[in-house]
Amino acid sequence: MLRRRHALGLAGAALAVPAQAQAPVNIRFYNYNLASAGLGRDATLEMIASFTAANPGVKVEGVAPPSGEVMARIQADVIAGNGPDLAQVIFADLAYVVENFGIRPLEEIVPAEDLRSHLAGMLPNGVELGRLDGKTYGLAYVFSTPVLFYNADLFRAAGLNPEAPPATWEEVREAAIAIHKATGKAGLITGIFGPSAYDWLFQGVILSAGGRVLSPDRRRLTFAEPEAVAAVRMLRSIAEAGVMPNLKSDAQIETMSTGNAGMYLQTSAVQSALLRGAANRFELRAAAMPAFTGKPVRPTNSGSALVIMTKDPARQRAAWALMKHLTSDYAYTIITSRIGYLPLRPSAIESEQHLAPWIRANPIVRPNLAQLANLSPWVPHAGPSYRQILTTMMNAAEEGVFGKRDPEELLAAAQRRAQALMPR
Amino acid sequence: MARTFGHRTREALAPWLYLAPALGAVVAFTYAPLGYAGWLSLHQWNMMPMVEPRFVGLDNFTNLLTLPELEQALANTALHLAALLPLTVVLPVAIAILTQELRGPWRNIYRGLIFVPLIIAPIVAAAVWRWLLDPRFGMVNAGFKALGLGPVAFLQDPDLALWTITWITGWKLIGFSTLLVSASLAGLNPSLIEAARLDGASEWQVTRRIRLPLLSPTISLLVLLTILLGAQWSFAYIHVLTGGGPLGSSNTIWYLLWQFGFGSLAAGWASAAGLLLFAGFGTAALFLLWLMRRVSFHDD
Amino acid sequence: MRHHLALAPLALVSVFPIWWMLTTALRGEAEIYSPWPWPADPTLENFRFVIATTPVWRLLGNTLAYATLSTAIQLLTATLAAFAFTRWRFPFDRTLHALFALSWLVPFQVVMIPNYVAIARLGLIDTLGALLLPHLASALAVLMLVQAMRSFPRDVIEAAQIDGASHWRLLWRIIVPNLRAPLAALAILLFISAWNEYFWPLLLTRTPRSAVIQIGIQSFLTEEGNLWGPLMAMSSMACAPVLLIYIALQRQVIDSFLKAGTRG
Repeated sequence: MLRRRHALGLAGAALAVPAQAQAPVNIRFYNYNLASAGLGRDATLEMIASFTAANPGVKVEGVAPPSGEVMARIQADVIAGNGPDLAQVIFADLAYVVENFGIRPLEEIVPAEDLRSHLAGMLPNGVELGRLDGKTYGLAYVFSTPVLFYNADLFRAAGLNPEAPPATWEEVREAAIAIHKATGKAGLITGIFGPSAYDWLFQGVILSAGGRVLSPDRRRLTFAEPEAVAAVRMLRSIAEAGVMPNLKSDAQIETMSTGNAGMYLQTSAVQSALLRGAANRFELRAAAMPAFTGKPVRPTNSGSALVIMTKDPARQRAAWALMKHLTSDYAYTIITSRIGYLPLRPSAIESEQHLAPWIRANPIVRPNLAQLANLSPWVPHAGPSYRQILTTMMNAAEEGVFGKRDPEELLAAAQRRAQALMPR
Repeated sequence: MARTFGHRTREALAPWLYLAPALGAVVAFTYAPLGYAGWLSLHQWNMMPMVEPRFVGLDNFTNLLTLPELEQALANTALHLAALLPLTVVLPVAIAILTQELRGPWRNIYRGLIFVPLIIAPIVAAAVWRWLLDPRFGMVNAGFKALGLGPVAFLQDPDLALWTITWITGWKLIGFSTLLVSASLAGLNPSLIEAARLDGASEWQVTRRIRLPLLSPTISLLVLLTILLGAQWSFAYIHVLTGGGPLGSSNTIWYLLWQFGFGSLAAGWASAAGLLLFAGFGTAALFLLWLMRRVSFHDD
Repeated sequence: MRHHLALAPLALVSVFPIWWMLTTALRGEAEIYSPWPWPADPTLENFRFVIATTPVWRLLGNTLAYATLSTAIQLLTATLAAFAFTRWRFPFDRTLHALFALSWLVPFQVVMIPNYVAIARLGLIDTLGALLLPHLASALAVLMLVQAMRSFPRDVIEAAQIDGASHWRLLWRIIVPNLRAPLAALAILLFISAWNEYFWPLLLTRTPRSAVIQIGIQSFLTEEGNLWGPLMAMSSMACAPVLLIYIALQRQVIDSFLKAGTRG
């Protein structure tokens, strides 16, 4: 408690300046963590409360759309003339928001020196995620990388060494088969598919295989090229061995946290749910995302950025102050230890007042932290039909992995269809 | 003369005054938005004030109608509705007849218990069933295991997911249909049945020759409701339990069009999808009504 | 006996999931995944959690207000409309009747966003009133009441007219009191569907001020894992009022359906 208060004091002192001199400002903040009772909600409310305590001139109204609906809600409210001042936007939607909602880059709305010094304290790889065409439209906020969680007890039962978790997809396949053979339980589950997965993890797998889902200028889809097809075939070989069931995300978490799966490749955001399930039942460990043999692993990120949507200067100032507060060392201490996302500030990781003791006590976050160094951004799809493009691609890829038809044909057909929906 | 005229006008206006509240509500909150959707469906627009709508003709419709998933979803919808009929029509008729013959409190106790699923929110029903059917810790599979059978992945197996969704949808509706059938059963003239029994007709003959023909309007209504609204009823369960998967195996036309239309942010896609559903099920309704009129005509 | 053999399993299947919901609400974290039908160590922890972390009473109050009001309004508008259709012949009456029937097939999602924009322009976002607006008239209610009124004995109506009763009096003094059964049956259906409504309130509500219980339930189902215990506790609290009303009125509910059927 003491530690927290101390951190809060620091954050408050740094932030109180801009908003206090003004008349009271109300800002509406859309945050999907607020919609999940008991998981992200309490931590988020606490961070908002500490902000308003330090900035009595600002009132924050937290609006809580469920994460699957956050974009639709923002859009509906903007159409109705009642949009957010500050919003948590999933990276897949970021380009759409910037292109359609008249968002101005932070460079144009906050003092240059202030922006420079705040961004200097953040991981450059993280800051990059909020950038489009060289301008910073959003500030990476809650965010994680793909982690290979594994059940050390099942590893031992299958005669595998939990000290040396699989590092390549070939090793993952062998381990999955061994676990299934020895225990009858699922060898591997992944969070690659499913409506809420978008394509963040899929992009990481394709990148690691040396491919891309779309060209760097975001004009051409490339998810049917040989590298991507090879990646899908690799996954399919695991599925065909009968050791990788195709589960929905909530069933995945339950299967893993009840000790019924050997490995689970998923965002670290599920970490606290898994830890709760594993407690006193089995030993949960984590490893880095697997690589394709001979190729560098390219973990992508899931998560969201904070975007200032208001056009009003006083509210922009207040939103910026809240944004800085939510991406401070204090905030990342709460976000990482209580929700399970990554800290985007090296100073929070190293500081004894913040996360250092917690990280020592919870080695499970290490692989996630280590992947920050070689992170590749999750690239948003382009144009007004970007959601349909995403669905077309992911449906084909899922069938390529779990279905019977040939992945190459499936992906090629889907790419043709989806390319027709791209902006020309 | 003037008085009569005033009286006449009042009399002619009266039905409109009675009709006004309901009609106003339906026009304002259903048909006006539907008309707007008609316009939206011809444009590419996200309804954002700062973005200009772009006329795209029938592109939204062609995009939806050429979806490779469409064929599977249509087939699934037909199977789903066909499999729903035993649950929403056959079983309720049987239950209604069986309970009708019971004496004392049992009749209402059974009807009461079977009605209970209807009052549970769909989202809760989905959550509980998912739980009961889970291959690892679910009650149903625990029972199978006790019988020495392997766990069944009701929602994860592409061969079973659609049937599981159908079962949950039907489970929720059995009680409602039973009450409707019981209601018309109670309205039948008992002397017909008595007479048949006196003639030595077996229980099955009584049901087939007398009860079923007399129940046919109710049965037709239930068939009609199931076919027209069944895919809507299962929407919540598909949404929560399978997301249309695995591999589209539980995708219905409703859910597919939702995925590409309403689930995304493009008003053009969404409106086109909505109009297609409206037109499709509207046509089905007219066809069924026509068919029913023909069939009942022959009955006479 | 044969009857019981067939009916008892069906009745069990109907209520077992509800039983499961109630007992899961009483399970502690350690027992959540246990397949036993009764918790070894029942606890009220999940209920305490729900009450502490969500404004559950407020949500229940809102839901009750919304469900009651929308039911009452839909019954009223439908009664008036059905009376117009059965008492008079007027231009386009068949077309208008078909218009009501067809409105049942309009997918709710299509009209959701335009309605939302209209309600926002009226400044009604985050109010209970806004929840009601698209539910002022129910096609089902209109159709069912037209049916019921058509089968109303003509001689009673004619007798009343000979006595010089106005149509207003005829409706409220003679027809409505005799339509108690179908009205009650309809009221139950409308109430249940309003109580369980989810998508429209989700779009419309911003704060507990106007949120309903289904939104609260959903907040325990997240991508980062589901909180089963509290979810089932809140679901039980959501179902309890309807279940209690149902048990108390069970006989009347079923009777009113039976009577509604004999007339309609």
